Amino acid sequence: MPSNPSMSAAIVGAAESNKIGFIEEGTTATRLHLEAINNVCKQTGIKPSEIDGVFSAGFSPQLGEHLGIHPKYLDTTAVGGASFVLHVHHALAAINAGIIDVALISHGEAGFSARKNRGNGTNRAGADDKWSVGNQFEVPYGIAGQPSNYAHAMTRHMHQFGSRKEDFAQIAVTTRDWATLNPRAVMHSKETHPFGGPITVQDVMDSRLIAWPLSLLDCCLVTDHGGAVLIASAEKARSLRTAPVWIAGAGESMSHWSMLEMEDFTATSARASSNTAYKMAGMGPGEMEMAMIYDSFTVTAGITAEMLGLTPRGEGPSLWADGKAGPGGSGIPVNTNGGGLSFSHSGMYGMMLLVEVYRQLSGTAEDGINGLPGKQVEAKTAVVNGTGGALSTTGTLVLVADD
Amino acid sequence: MAYTKPIPDPEEYLNKPFWDGCKEGRLMLPRCEDCNRVHFYPRVLCPYCHSDRIDWIEASGEGYIHTYAVQHRAFGGYADETPFVTAFIDLKEGDRMLTVLRGVDPLKPEDIKIGAKVRVEFEAASDEVSIPFWRVVE
Repeated sequence: MPSNPSMSAAIVGAAESNKIGFIEEGTTATRLHLEAINNVCKQTGIKPSEIDGVFSAGFSPQLGEHLGIHPKYLDTTAVGGASFVLHVHHALAAINAGIIDVALISHGEAGFSARKNRGNGTNRAGADDKWSVGNQFEVPYGIAGQPSNYAHAMTRHMHQFGSRKEDFAQIAVTTRDWATLNPRAVMHSKETHPFGGPITVQDVMDSRLIAWPLSLLDCCLVTDHGGAVLIASAEKARSLRTAPVWIAGAGESMSHWSMLEMEDFTATSARASSNTAYKMAGMGPGEMEMAMIYDSFTVTAGITAEMLGLTPRGEGPSLWADGKAGPGGSGIPVNTNGGGLSFSHSGMYGMMLLVEVYRQLSGTAEDGINGLPGKQVEAKTAVVNGTGGALSTTGTLVLVADD
Repeated sequence: MAYTKPIPDPEEYLNKPFWDGCKEGRLMLPRCEDCNRVHFYPRVLCPYCHSDRIDWIEASGEGYIHTYAVQHRAFGGYADETPFVTAFIDLKEGDRMLTVLRGVDPLKPEDIKIGAKVRVEFEAASDEVSIPFWRVVE
């Protein structure tokens, strides 16, 4: 039963930046954040490495990166000036649930200096801040969009493990096979798209290069898409007319925000987030009967398969080899909707993972999942992993069908 | 010829010694005075030990290719330069930088060697800003 969060957590320290007010020499939001964090850590004796939850109005993974920490809870709730009060509420829930021990709530806002800084150094979401890490140290080198980033991970994987472009291409082929069963998939057939329908490894290899070693068919679609899910208490869930899909485990983590800080280009924080999720669920990768793996690129899916423990290290693409993960394959079904590669991907694909896994595990396949009659997969358990940023942030869920 | 690619607008606090150094043809890197480790990009707190005592050193300008990619699609001034090779460089002093890699053939990506030695050079993109690039030297 849920426990009452009342009195389960306390504010144990509070501090400010070294300077506040009208800082005539100028400052940046980043500096104001970091000075305050440094001061509150010194005040309490809590080391930054002990912080396992980071809460800020939109800047949490960047703060985690600045501190060189790998928190297991990230909250960027930005609802205006009240955000930080809401963060306390969210931190209370996370601490009461036993998910984290130490929550950092941080604020840094260079309202005065922004004028002197010509609008830069604010970290404001959506603003093209010329002083962001990306605009200082990545954009000057022609990096634009995620294909240009992610390709570096694939090169390193090929170098380190001897994987081949063909091995990753098979991921796109198998994922397309699923899309051919989903009438809502963009690449379902020649009727839905001139280049729809089944593809071969050679098709992937022959498609034009976007960022070597990534070819066009290694890359996800860019579509329009909307989705929503509802999550309810167990009691409420049992009272509804829809079938519940139980959340057995959940975890999240981050390794970096900018690719400049990606220590190991062949590994992501999905290792950490899935360990947390499996532990909470009391289950392991061997018990997962299907997988929904964020496939922004073939390399994303390949590496993530390793991190989720579904294949040995360095052998991620083998999950898809010979169509094993495809319809009627000998392995577990993966990305049954056709994935970001062939179903739909609007930029942030995580919602599409959730909608599909609910449909499969709830058995609403039989009500016409993806427009089809009949249940597609027999799975009763699923691992779901989302990757965000430049292979930066990850969330993993272990979900279980209702009995 | 005018420089048509993105020119960084140097951040005037944390990154100032770095961009000032580039203009003088010197690669300056932040180093923690407490744990002596070099990090990049510049930080308020050392990302390794969280000290706020950060100094700057002049780097050797030597490094090694950590990984690379060939960009066949780009925007702005870079659109006219495709294909070009981007690479993450392991700095001799520690940590990494990104670069457009010079001295390699973007049409022969398999010939580029991870671990190959590279050296920094600076290009004056404007009167105010010079940008570091890395070139394969072996």
